[in-house]
Amino acid sequence: MLIHRTGAQKPKPASNWLRRWLAADTIDGIKRQRALLGYLFLAPTILGLLIFIIGPMLYTFFLSFHKWNVFRPPEFVGLDNFVRLFADARVGISYRNTFILVVMTVLLLEVMAFLLALAVNRIARTRLAYLYRTAYFLPVLLSGAAVSVTLGYLFHKDFGVINYYLGLLGIDKIPWLTSSDVVLITISLTTVWRNLGFTFIIYLGGLTSLPTEVLEAAEVDGATGWRKLRSIILPLMSPTILFATITDMIKMLQFFDEPFIMTRGGPGDASRTVVMMMYESGFGNLEFGYASAIALTLFAVILAVTGFQFYASRRFVFYQ
Amino acid sequence: MSGKLSRRNLLKLTAVSAAALGANLVPVMRIFAQGNPVTLRFQENAENYAAVVAAFNEQFPNITIEFVNVTGVDHAEIASKILSQLAAGQPVNIGYAATEATQLYAGEGLAMPLTQRALADQATLAEYFADVSPTLIEGMMYEGDLYQLPRDFNAAHIYFNKALLAEAGLEVPGDEWTKDDFVEYARAMTGIGGGDSFGYGWTNRLWGSWTPWFFVNDTNLLAEERAPGGEAIWDTFYAGDPLAEGRGGGWRWPAPQANNPKMVEALDFVVSLTTDGLTPAVEIGGGDRLQGFFTSGKLGMTIAGGFWAGALINAGMEPGSFEVQFWPKWVSQRHQFGTGGAWILQGAGTEAEDASWEFVKFNAARDIMLLIPWMANASTTPVRRSINTPEYWGQTGLENGHVFYDALDQRPDTAPIPAPVFSIEMTNIYTRYTSLATSGEQTPQAALDGMQAELEQLYARNA
Repeated sequence: MLIHRTGAQKPKPASNWLRRWLAADTIDGIKRQRALLGYLFLAPTILGLLIFIIGPMLYTFFLSFHKWNVFRPPEFVGLDNFVRLFADARVGISYRNTFILVVMTVLLLEVMAFLLALAVNRIARTRLAYLYRTAYFLPVLLSGAAVSVTLGYLFHKDFGVINYYLGLLGIDKIPWLTSSDVVLITISLTTVWRNLGFTFIIYLGGLTSLPTEVLEAAEVDGATGWRKLRSIILPLMSPTILFATITDMIKMLQFFDEPFIMTRGGPGDASRTVVMMMYESGFGNLEFGYASAIALTLFAVILAVTGFQFYASRRFVFYQ
Repeated sequence: MSGKLSRRNLLKLTAVSAAALGANLVPVMRIFAQGNPVTLRFQENAENYAAVVAAFNEQFPNITIEFVNVTGVDHAEIASKILSQLAAGQPVNIGYAATEATQLYAGEGLAMPLTQRALADQATLAEYFADVSPTLIEGMMYEGDLYQLPRDFNAAHIYFNKALLAEAGLEVPGDEWTKDDFVEYARAMTGIGGGDSFGYGWTNRLWGSWTPWFFVNDTNLLAEERAPGGEAIWDTFYAGDPLAEGRGGGWRWPAPQANNPKMVEALDFVVSLTTDGLTPAVEIGGGDRLQGFFTSGKLGMTIAGGFWAGALINAGMEPGSFEVQFWPKWVSQRHQFGTGGAWILQGAGTEAEDASWEFVKFNAARDIMLLIPWMANASTTPVRRSINTPEYWGQTGLENGHVFYDALDQRPDTAPIPAPVFSIEMTNIYTRYTSLATSGEQTPQAALDGMQAELEQLYARNA
């Protein structure tokens, strides 16, 4: 049968060139097809990254050199925001508070979560392990706002349940939320309670995946208890510890929910954190340029702390 | 006379009709004539406003109301969220602002001035203004223009837990009670109710807080003056009303005076209530926690407005188990209030602005106001005098419900809380230093010196 290919005589549109380039039945053509497919799969992630991470970061950088109050267009002010920031005593106080909170909270979190994980790992094959895992993880599922509001009641100096029970033990009322000496401890305890489950699950996961042959060999060699923990478990767990510590530290450097809801940063500035300062400067005082400058310094601090942790980890992290 | 309508008469009739309809129908006609669908973003809770919007859509089927529910601990926080939506390019067409944000939106050009529209709609709105105290209208003005039609307000009063009152062998005091009477009441109601009650409780914020104490000590956080202007509103809607005499175009607060001796004296007094054990630990924030303590019989007295009455019933208190009275007298008995109403986004286009105005005006009608559930059940103080009846407050068991509107009608010196354009930052400074004094970290004098210094810097930055 004769087929008349009348269309083949017409001039080809430009898009046909691209189609042939991609569909070419050659090694290069197949490579190009695979590359295109790869980019297509990556596109949602790249787009998300550009729109939600890179874009806002670049705009924050841009804003940090401007004065902007939402109502009027941004006005270029050079380094003014940074000069003001380094002279602002309240920013200094908020950094001090944040560092104290980070050190207290991360220390408590890592130590308690690790000890709990060790304990639960010992009974891993019993039904009780399910109960403990669920119980410790449950607070992670709660909203930070709900936890802060509820614990705010419990920590109330005059009507709180905690002081009531301490009173039964003969201990005077503690101003958990209204004394600058105590307020950071209160916030740290609240945060530890809510976040413990997450770190605990990471450690438990690490412990359950430790190579049993190494542990058994250590036992055969007579290593038990503290010796086994110090010389075998801790080195093997060091990558997990590094991961948990870094993620917790990054999270805690961005402390916001608990102090914002429980104390509003008070009394005075005693519990004001860097992120609170940033939020209040932007959305309270309508100084988005200044808030952006604070955000950039915090970004730099987080970057530096994380970099230092990776650097220091060379000495104590053991990779199999 | 011929029964036929001549062409000349038809033209005359048309001209007369147009004149009679006046400018106030132009926006309505424009919206109907175009018949274009208009969508307005309205800052409210859909459930609360469902009946209002349904009634509105019967008249304006082409206007769709989209709800944007914004919540916050206080009005300053709500304003922050509204501004974050603006920053994100998603502003509301119609917002609700309390005194805390009125001048912020007006001063920054976000809200549209409503004076000319109100005057053009004089026939419709005359009844509304006649029913609303000029004190509230002045509170919604900025530099001579009206920016909001107030919907509700709250003046600060003292609420009493009647069970604790009875246990202390006391009765609700009279109108003219004093600060010393207040201390006696607080003392008598401390340590009863199972042994752990306190005489008086309050929270640290701008409205309420210790603000009423410096008001009755005849001073204010910021110096006060009236802006010129506003005559068009006063002459048109309040001619001959003695309560409107001497009013201007809104309030100005030209300078801070946080550490003047009367302010120090007022804060000293408030702090002494804590150190004497008459007041529990004072925290920053809204009144939720306070409500819990009051309803559970742990507080004898607390500061609140009309909103508290319905809220206490909703929280489980029986009608008649609490009562209210004016703020006690000190040097004066000047009351403070905050009011709120809808504002319209400026620059959203004529169609959206016209439609928004129709909606705001529609909301000012008495029957429409009462379609809002919490307005009907006394969970706020309506701005309309005619709603503030003994029956209205009687549903919560209050016998002294008249004090809410009397704070406006009987006490013409009642004034709004100080809330200039930069009120959010000002409130932050105010609560921060107040917390230093109430927690004993600083003396009242030191705290107020610090507050004054920061307020001066704030004024300098915004000069």
